[in-house]
Amino acid sequence: MDVKPTKSIDERGEVCPVPDVDAKRALAKMKSGEILEVLIDYPLSKERIPANATKDGHELLAIEETGNSEWRILIKVK
Amino acid sequence: MNVLLGLLTGLAFGVVLQRGRVCFNSAFRDLRLMNDNFMFKAALLAVALETIAFLVMAQLGWIHLNPKPLNWVGVIIGGYVFGLGMVLAGGCASGTTYRIGEGNTTSWLAGLFFAIFALATQSGFLSPIMNAINGWTIKVSSNSALYLGDKTGPTLATLLNISPWIAGLVFAALMLIYVFATKTTKRETAAWGWIKTGLLIVPVAMFGFWSSTLTGRVYGLGITGGWINVLQATQTNVALSWEGAEVLGIILGAAITAIIFKEFKLRVPKKGITYAYVVLGGALMGFGATLAGGCNIGHFLTGIPQLAISSIVAGIFFILGNWTMTRILYGKG
Repeated sequence: MDVKPTKSIDERGEVCPVPDVDAKRALAKMKSGEILEVLIDYPLSKERIPANATKDGHELLAIEETGNSEWRILIKVK
Repeated sequence: MNVLLGLLTGLAFGVVLQRGRVCFNSAFRDLRLMNDNFMFKAALLAVALETIAFLVMAQLGWIHLNPKPLNWVGVIIGGYVFGLGMVLAGGCASGTTYRIGEGNTTSWLAGLFFAIFALATQSGFLSPIMNAINGWTIKVSSNSALYLGDKTGPTLATLLNISPWIAGLVFAALMLIYVFATKTTKRETAAWGWIKTGLLIVPVAMFGFWSSTLTGRVYGLGITGGWINVLQATQTNVALSWEGAEVLGIILGAAITAIIFKEFKLRVPKKGITYAYVVLGGALMGFGATLAGGCNIGHFLTGIPQLAISSIVAGIFFILGNWTMTRILYGKG
């Protein structure tokens, strides 16, 4: 997806649940309409971060596979 | 033969753990931290169905119920310490074990220290603690032929002096009502839904209890004893047991599915301090699980379905320890 994220956090290699916690905190500090990019390599976070984000009302733009067990999640802040 | 049965059980378990992302640390922690009960529901579903399954198997004579004896000090302190440890380690005993197969280097370290401190507590430099509390272990008279032997660990059935069947059916029914009548957190992108995961744990648990019983170990899925045995079997002349083979099978099974689904990666944290956390976490888990007579798998997937008081109390303290460390490390979320 060709969007330019407002903020990007690289959570690759981080222990559970750090990617999820960092994603949630980042979203909470961002302004409406801004886009967060989260780079992860943890399969569970690929499932849980989108679910938590949409539950909090944000918009999931994309989950892209960027490498072997690596993903880029794009979330638009509500 | 023992090794083969354990290995097969472990392989199947490893697949389910990896595909279902089954981690009790996550199940407990996410309840608080993320208002997320997805994994917790999967676990409860498995527990409810296993309760009935084990009763049927015991009735048919394929197994005997063999709940762990109750040691209050052991399950309370051990359970709480284990709970603290699993949050530091980023995974419970099963979560850590299956993620070794996914390539997580932090899990490699956590698993190793889990094993070292478990064996140390059972028969090494920490064993004086075990010996000190041993005298307070409680067994009661079996009130049913379904139990192994005249004396058994106390259960809800022995406590209320009712048949394990009645106690089990009521318990399972209450759990199932809670599981299906309350809302469950959605996780649309999950590889396996929570119902599928909960359901698939059950045949693995049944095969485990049946096959382990054949080898003389009358118990179901477990991890702690397996790690202790793996260490002993590699460092000494002790033979690899059913449970040791099960643990190796979990790692192998998880590795295979991870590779097939392109989820195997040698993951390394950015900051070295993370390794220190997981080493401490693993050590606390090893000590706690041994003191408590089992980890989250032994107690949740084998003990609680047998309504063992030791497992129920351990389970409560696993959760309390987990919530404490979650609050310390991650705040209120």
